[in-house]
Amino acid sequence: MGKKRERLVVIRDILKSIQDNRNIKPTRLLYASNLSPQMFKEYINELIEKKFIAIDIDKKDKKTFSLTKKGYDFLEEYRVIENFIDNFGL
Amino acid sequence: MDLYSFVLGNREIFKLIYALFILIICVIIVFRTNRLFQLSLHQGIRYFRNAFFFYGLAFFSRYILDLFLGHHIVDPLFEFFIIVAGSFLLYSLLWKKIESEKGTHSSLFNSRILIFYFMAIIIALIDTIWSTMYVMFFSQIVLFLFASIISFYKFKNNEKRKKFPGFHFLAMILMFFAWILNLLAPLLFSWNPIALINIYFFNAVFFLVFLFGAIKISGR
Repeated sequence: MGKKRERLVVIRDILKSIQDNRNIKPTRLLYASNLSPQMFKEYINELIEKKFIAIDIDKKDKKTFSLTKKGYDFLEEYRVIENFIDNFGL
Repeated sequence: MDLYSFVLGNREIFKLIYALFILIICVIIVFRTNRLFQLSLHQGIRYFRNAFFFYGLAFFSRYILDLFLGHHIVDPLFEFFIIVAGSFLLYSLLWKKIESEKGTHSSLFNSRILIFYFMAIIIALIDTIWSTMYVMFFSQIVLFLFASIISFYKFKNNEKRKKFPGFHFLAMILMFFAWILNLLAPLLFSWNPIALINIYFFNAVFFLVFLFGAIKISGR
């Protein structure tokens, strides 16, 4: 059994999937994130609440996700954050 | 005139410069780590930030508020802030074993952190009643001994260690020895001013090590 992904890695993976697949649909993102539906919902709600991602609704009433500026900033600074956590033993 | 005489001759000015120096370091660390926390929502960074926020408050009260309020009010405040700061620093190393990765709504007011405040109030009260600082010194020696051990094991077990070999561990050890010196200052040296200058120097190096890490790693 693989090692449980850290929360920060899960967030990175979700945001990366949205970045790589612009306007990704919820079902596709769920598969890409490799999370249970319950966990997926929790992460997505938090990322929306903290303004890392936004929900867009098209003319056919279909939901898709897109990255906000904060989401892009997170991906850009991910290495820095990871280094900081490693080096300070946090 | 040697360096010690010069510093002692201008003691009050040097105290103020020292306080401002540490305060500026704390402000820089708080702002940098706050930016990383806002982006990552990582609880460890949040507690680390809080530690330096309280160190900043401690030095502000000890050397700047003291100019207006006097020792009787400021000393217990200083002890309270120092103990809470040290506790946050230790907790930033331990939090994963204690709470969920998602963390709590407030990092300043939750049931675990209230224990720190409670302990800090008790220690500050005892020291105030006894008119000493010994209980705070002992508490910080024990705390930084634990922090050094945890930090050492974390460094040893970190698969990714590369560029900064154990400087976090080094900072913890420095602070551990600084607190031992703090305890020895009244016990062995009767608050000898030269011993105090060396203690201030140790403290400054501790903060500089963290500042170096925060600037070097956060990269801007």
